Amino acid sequence: MRNFYGAATALGVLCSMPAMALAQSEVVVWVAGEPGQTTIYDELAEAFNASQSDAVNTIVKNSSDLFNPALVPALSAGEGPDLFTFGTGPGQPAALIAGGMVADLTDAYRQHGWADTIPEGIIVQTSSDGKLWAFGNEVETTGMFYNQAIFDEVGVTVPTTWAEMEATVAALQAAGYDTPIGLAGADKWPVSHWQSMMFGRYAGPDGIENVLFGDGAWTDAPFVAASAKLQEMGQAGWFGPTPVAIGYGELMDSFWAGDVPMTFTGPWVIGGGIEAAGDRIGDYSVFAVPPFEEGQKIHPTNSIGIGWYIRKGSEVEEQAIAFLNSIFIETTGRVALLNAGTIPVGPLEEALAQAEMSQLAQDIWKTADDHAANGSVPAFLDTITPGSLTTVSYDGLQGLLLNVMTPEAFTADMQDAWAEAKEAGKIMRPGGIADE
Amino acid sequence: MRLDPNSKLAQRLNPVLFLFPALSIYIVFALYPTVSVIEYSFTDWDGISPKRNYIGLENYRKMFSDKIFWEAFRNTFVWSGVILVINVGLGLVIAAMLARVWKARLLIQTCIVLPVVISPMAVATIWRWMYQPKGVINQVLDGVGLDALTRPWLGDPSVVLYALAFAHSWSTIGLSVIIFLAGLQAVDEDLYEASKVDGATPLQQFRYVTMTALRPVTAVVFILTLTQSFKVFDIVWTTTQGGPIRFSEILSTYMYKRGALENDYGYGSAIGVALLVIVSFATIIYLQIQNRKDQ
Repeated sequence: MRNFYGAATALGVLCSMPAMALAQSEVVVWVAGEPGQTTIYDELAEAFNASQSDAVNTIVKNSSDLFNPALVPALSAGEGPDLFTFGTGPGQPAALIAGGMVADLTDAYRQHGWADTIPEGIIVQTSSDGKLWAFGNEVETTGMFYNQAIFDEVGVTVPTTWAEMEATVAALQAAGYDTPIGLAGADKWPVSHWQSMMFGRYAGPDGIENVLFGDGAWTDAPFVAASAKLQEMGQAGWFGPTPVAIGYGELMDSFWAGDVPMTFTGPWVIGGGIEAAGDRIGDYSVFAVPPFEEGQKIHPTNSIGIGWYIRKGSEVEEQAIAFLNSIFIETTGRVALLNAGTIPVGPLEEALAQAEMSQLAQDIWKTADDHAANGSVPAFLDTITPGSLTTVSYDGLQGLLLNVMTPEAFTADMQDAWAEAKEAGKIMRPGGIADE
Repeated sequence: MRLDPNSKLAQRLNPVLFLFPALSIYIVFALYPTVSVIEYSFTDWDGISPKRNYIGLENYRKMFSDKIFWEAFRNTFVWSGVILVINVGLGLVIAAMLARVWKARLLIQTCIVLPVVISPMAVATIWRWMYQPKGVINQVLDGVGLDALTRPWLGDPSVVLYALAFAHSWSTIGLSVIIFLAGLQAVDEDLYEASKVDGATPLQQFRYVTMTALRPVTAVVFILTLTQSFKVFDIVWTTTQGGPIRFSEILSTYMYKRGALENDYGYGSAIGVALLVIVSFATIIYLQIQNRKDQ
């Protein structure tokens, strides 16, 4: 009889398992990113799935250039993901919002106290018409990654002035490193990181804001000067003999292999770098590019990485919000992000006390913190300006590097695209959430 | 009620019945999207909003004054020209030579056709690696003392389009060769014998026997190659995304940029319609020329 009860109990448990599984709803999460660079979200989803039984988060990843063209038709067909990452600039998010494809997150913002975590500056970029549309999750910066072992071999130290920078590059070239600074110009977007940083350095935070939100123009003197400087560096061979023939993937392979001494990039490469360089990861560090001109300040670059949106009409909106809370609001999620080199928005004291950030991640954030008092500039101008301007900028930057375009013509093309987008109302406007 | 199979109605319905499955698939997956693209080209649709404003011919007016469109237009013609020369010209020569080879013919044929079944993305990745400044092509050129010819193939504006067209031809020429080979099987051997008796050289045989006999097959290969080359997107996008600057920008990549990346589906559709018109015209003109020659 005892056996019978035992068997019946076991059968009951077994029968209830499919029902439990059926009760779980699936939250489909699309994350944009290059392979191997967004693994943290898989880990966070796994941890979240293990901690509760209401929903299962399925992470789907795709490279950035294929992400948007796949997302838009999926959303239009009502078959899109429940939760997804997307740009926070003008143009596409505005169209998604106008098309009624994303959920209004204002109630969640108030209900879950997101205001304590998400700074006003981020809210401004993720809201419109008094409503919050995206969770601006992380802050990203850029810096000059370098290989200390190569520096030691060549006998150079981290440059702090432009003269030292020139001497460093010259010494590396003399030592046979024909590409002192890897650029990955074939992929265009890595060059725009230089552009964002240099435009910011030459124009300062106010100069950038004056163009984005005021009457300034991309043809203003600081932007022309910055473009000329980039072209001059390219012509002097700083980015190697073939700066627009190498893609980002190939460059990073060479960088972590120890063939390229420096490259200007962001913390998203750290995870892949630790895997690629293995024990040699301690050879790598980051420094802030010295001021290009006398009297110029170092302005750290800062941008929101991405925004997280919830599809309007998703049946698992609550679960999607719970997942967002678990990764960006709860301390365990924030610690995991920090350990992966991603800096979540908001106060970091609590998470930092528990985090074990890689040395490289600490280095890059230290370079930003060291100069924070000077005011920051956007790290990725291409994400906060219209797509038409991005196209023109990407092509023009290659034109500058190939020396087939003048800085004046480059900035004039940018300004034309900007003016056209401005006239069509496709530029970013500061947002904000309406009072209750 | 049962329909008499010999009745006039049944006789008329029969072909319709057999055509229906294929026709319905064609209408849903080819005709409807084509008509939709034409419709979108008269709107300012962003690809997302439910609202589409009809703006008449505005997108076409903009297109004709768009210098990048004309750059892409010119590049597309150069691109297609190179591919036509290689796939039709070289394809015919290779097929004619293969037809005379008996030893290891299957092996050679397999080697030529193999790239056709490789995924376009894989083809693009292979060639992206080979065309690297320190890639295998430059290493081989260096190795055989032709270092003057080494260059950053995908970063040099003067060669990038030709380099990519060559890579595309490598992956598609096998199909042309197979079609030409099939055509050559049907050429009467007596014609070669007769021409030999008349004292024709192998070159003259090729010119007056092979090429003449293969004229209808050449038309098929020409049209297939032309339409395929105009539609190419993957190899260019995966390797250069139209760069450096816009030196490898072709109409399909420009359409994608404007339509899908900049969310200007109306304008992107107008470029798509232009592409459709160009390919249709080119095909019609070629067929007309062929018909005149045949007459």
